[in-house]
Amino acid sequence: MIPAHVLLSGVSRGFGTAKAPTLALSQVSLAVARGEVVVLLGPSGCGKTTLLRLVAGLIRPDAGGVTVDGQPPQPGDGTAMVFQSFRLIPWKTARDNVAFALPRLGRAEARERAEHYLSLVGLSRFAKSWPAQLSGGMRQRLALARALAAEPTLLLMDEPFASLDAQSRELMQIELMRLMAARPATVLFVTHSVDEALILADRIVLMSPRPGRIAEEIAVPFPRPRWNHDTRALPDYALLRRHLWERLRDMVLNDPASDFHGRG
Amino acid sequence: MARSDTAPGRGRRPPGGAATLTVLRLGFLALLILLWWLASANVPRGIIPSPAATTMAAAQLWSEGRLQTALGQSLAVYGTGLLAAIAVGIPLGALMGAVRIFGRTVDLFVFALAATPRVAFIPLIILLLGLGIEAKAVIVFLGAVMPIILNTYAGVLARDADLIEMARSTGASPVRIAIHIVLPGALPFLVVGLRLGATIGLINTVVAELYTAVTGLGGLLALYGNTFRMAEYFVIVLALAMIGVIVTEGLRLIEARLSRWQTAERP
Repeated sequence: MIPAHVLLSGVSRGFGTAKAPTLALSQVSLAVARGEVVVLLGPSGCGKTTLLRLVAGLIRPDAGGVTVDGQPPQPGDGTAMVFQSFRLIPWKTARDNVAFALPRLGRAEARERAEHYLSLVGLSRFAKSWPAQLSGGMRQRLALARALAAEPTLLLMDEPFASLDAQSRELMQIELMRLMAARPATVLFVTHSVDEALILADRIVLMSPRPGRIAEEIAVPFPRPRWNHDTRALPDYALLRRHLWERLRDMVLNDPASDFHGRG
Repeated sequence: MARSDTAPGRGRRPPGGAATLTVLRLGFLALLILLWWLASANVPRGIIPSPAATTMAAAQLWSEGRLQTALGQSLAVYGTGLLAAIAVGIPLGALMGAVRIFGRTVDLFVFALAATPRVAFIPLIILLLGLGIEAKAVIVFLGAVMPIILNTYAGVLARDADLIEMARSTGASPVRIAIHIVLPGALPFLVVGLRLGATIGLINTVVAELYTAVTGLGGLLALYGNTFRMAEYFVIVLALAMIGVIVTEGLRLIEARLSRWQTAERP
């Protein structure tokens, strides 16, 4: 058997004070193969982001083990992360934002690499612009360029397109798939959106809230590449979509912390 | 929330252009000089010298070299004290903000010291260091360092946790995070601290020159004030005001240069 690229075994992680602890993740086990695109889908509070931060090496588990390439994860070591709110450095130009994410390279080399990846996402003209001068879609492409420039073998994406409008979001999904086809990496992608999950994933990991745990894993059978035809027209798409939506709906309605609790 | 989400291009430009502003400021200066002239003509016993008399006194002091000498003495005291305050205040404030337990331990005492009138220490400083430039520079330093420490501290405490997490995710070292994320983020606070420090430092320069060996602009201020040479006295007051304007405007220009990212228009 091929060893997993990312492996979580019996992982639990809590937050909060000693008096009022909350369990973000409980007994989560997951193996992700090299080159696989796994989408973590679930309602708020299901620990999706916590799982990504554990895999990124930003936090450590309270119990259980996390390994990337068989080792405990180290931030930036072959891993790059894309965040929902972009997290661009407002006082750095687009080019320097990308170059900042390459601490292992020399200054000149980092800038050269940054310019290459800016051109890859179509931002060459804006290399010397500050983030405040860019539109939302451009900021997201910049954040993506920053992550890709590190040439990661593992890309962690935390609802990266959630703050974009519907059209930008679909175009970014296609752009991401094109970029990943050119330079494959393992992807762990967090989203609230059933459609986004179905369009991007090789496998969907459905998570349930409070405490966060894995409810179901579903292989997505649609052929790749998916950008040259409308995956949503496939008959299986509607079936899978309805199944996932019903599971999510039940989770939200049965979650005492949800605004929609008991409204089914 | 990352600050990258603020509305773009919302500058802090004054209405109208820079030229309009310059004209308005010159007009206001003319108004002030007119008021000064009216006061000099109407206040009895020549307590307020006329602008013309003051200009002549300035030319006189300059040609005798007394203004330059005093200016040099004062700037040496002011510069030494202020630079030392910057060199100590920024690292100390940053350390207090970065190492939370250290900051929490000492901030109470720093606040207490900042609230104590620093002139209270002058007799002690004179006993320790005498009446020379060292004692004067320490008096300037003590006044200027407090706002620099406290504002750097506040700026580092207000750091953006989201940006720091992003930086950590790239594998950036703590030093790289401090230089590229925390300190630039603290810049607006830092500039406030420097401006306050520069202002208090100038006040303390004059205080030091009055209380220790009487030298510099503060010394001349006392000399001319006590001997009712009001034209000369006004020259010194105006010289001090000009130092203050030059230093604070210089800081403002540096700040504007470093925060172009906030005011830049969309291309």
